[in-house]
Amino acid sequence: MHGFGPVAVEPDEPVFHAPWEGRVLGVLFQAVGFGWTSIDAFRHAIERMNPVAYLTVGYYGRWLASLETVLVEAGVLAPGEVDARLEGRRLPPAPLPEGLPRPVSGYERTADVPPRFAPGQPVRARNLNPAGHTRLARYLRGKRGVIHRVHGAFVFPDTNAHGRGEHAQHLYGVRFDAGELWGADAEPSAAVHVDLFEDYLEPA
Amino acid sequence: MADAPPGGAALDWNGPSAPPRRNGELVFETLWESRLFGATMALHEAGLFAWDEFRDRLIAEIGSFERAHGARDEGFRYYACWLAAFERLAAEKGLCSAEDLEARVARLRSRPPGHDHERSTS
Amino acid sequence: MSDHAHDDPITRRDALRAEALESILVEKGVVRPEVIDAIVRRYEQDIGPMNGAKAIARAWTDPAYRQRLLADAWRAIAELGVPTGPEIAPLVVVENTAAVHNVVVCTLCSCYPGSLLGLPPSWYKSPAYRARVVREPRTVLCEMGLEVPPEVEIRVWDSSAEVRYMVLPERPAGSEGWPEERLAALVTRDAMIGVARPEPARLAHG
Repeated sequence: MHGFGPVAVEPDEPVFHAPWEGRVLGVLFQAVGFGWTSIDAFRHAIERMNPVAYLTVGYYGRWLASLETVLVEAGVLAPGEVDARLEGRRLPPAPLPEGLPRPVSGYERTADVPPRFAPGQPVRARNLNPAGHTRLARYLRGKRGVIHRVHGAFVFPDTNAHGRGEHAQHLYGVRFDAGELWGADAEPSAAVHVDLFEDYLEPA
Repeated sequence: MADAPPGGAALDWNGPSAPPRRNGELVFETLWESRLFGATMALHEAGLFAWDEFRDRLIAEIGSFERAHGARDEGFRYYACWLAAFERLAAEKGLCSAEDLEARVARLRSRPPGHDHERSTS
Repeated sequence: MSDHAHDDPITRRDALRAEALESILVEKGVVRPEVIDAIVRRYEQDIGPMNGAKAIARAWTDPAYRQRLLADAWRAIAELGVPTGPEIAPLVVVENTAAVHNVVVCTLCSCYPGSLLGLPPSWYKSPAYRARVVREPRTVLCEMGLEVPPEVEIRVWDSSAEVRYMVLPERPAGSEGWPEERLAALVTRDAMIGVARPEPARLAHG
């Protein structure tokens, strides 16, 4: 988009031009922070805004409109409830949707499939050398270890951190003897325990 | 933060038998490190990004340094890596573009010396 | 603490960039300075190794608590009512015994049970520690002042994913009958990382 003229910079611009802007920020932090909606849903709502409204209501105006949209879509607000309140009307009370708020917990998930490996099972770290990011440290690639623990299923950072989806999978505690990792130079009586995702491992 | 259970021992960690708080090291060496840390945590706590998204960029910055310099401490600056990772994430999330940042840096650089003497503490 | 303390050009440049970044984010309403203040204060004052030390001291005096701490660390820590950070990444406490000595590292970056112990020390984040402790743990620990006998297995825990690790060190001899507060004072952050033993009982005051 072009042709909007010079950017008007307000000298000594305050953080909020009016108290309501700060209130919107506070509501957003809590709506997302407590799991009534997600930040992705909120961003998507801004993207879906009517273009005229988008350009005329200002930065916090967009936040306010989008917050209302996502909370209506989540069933927390009834459609038109805010307008009704502005007109002095109250809508009939309605129960909050089941399952909300969804606690924004860590990265533990329930996997679709059972764990492939079990404690005591020998495994080998795959020789992955991806161009992108991976949590499989170089020193482990191709090395043989033993599963000592199944941690549960977690979001897979290799994909999630780069917007390619969660791909939740099982995470394992794997024990590698120092001799296996470092050969003849290894110190005696030492081992490394590393947490590795299922995609990093193959049976040994 | 959970409330202490009834009858649970209330440990005196401000008195003479208090365990050490810092083990002899500052939590932050400089003001800017503390502000950067706080800003990163604030955005994460508000749900603007998953910790993995920041952590992977931090891993990448640290990895870049080590590929260039080896696993040597000399020249390694942890919060410089953190800052670079956070800048990247902020740009990718549309929170602060590289251009806006450069413009703001230029504006701040042109402040007169001594402008911040009210703010700095030792 | 002041940004004048480190006056080299590189640090000054980073300080300026960090300030610029914060000012933009504040103006956009994405962060509030008082939220940043509160977070910094929390990590400087409330969240630190003294919290982990309480769990260790309790585990030393209460065998049932020790088992709970080893089985489900966060649940056991919640019993203590200590302030913690927002991260609820799984925490696993690993115990030192006569046969095994544990030490923690994050070879990829700097992961650490920060929600319980506060921020990690600089050396923990350093390239040398992170590269060497997996490769030659006995040597590194010796350099840091900790001798581990050859018959004791050294187990290095690399926090490569979401799970965080903390060491439950062995209780110092001569501390029998001590109250928990006095025991907690013996537990250093370095002991909970695994690069040191707790303070000896005979040196403690109070």
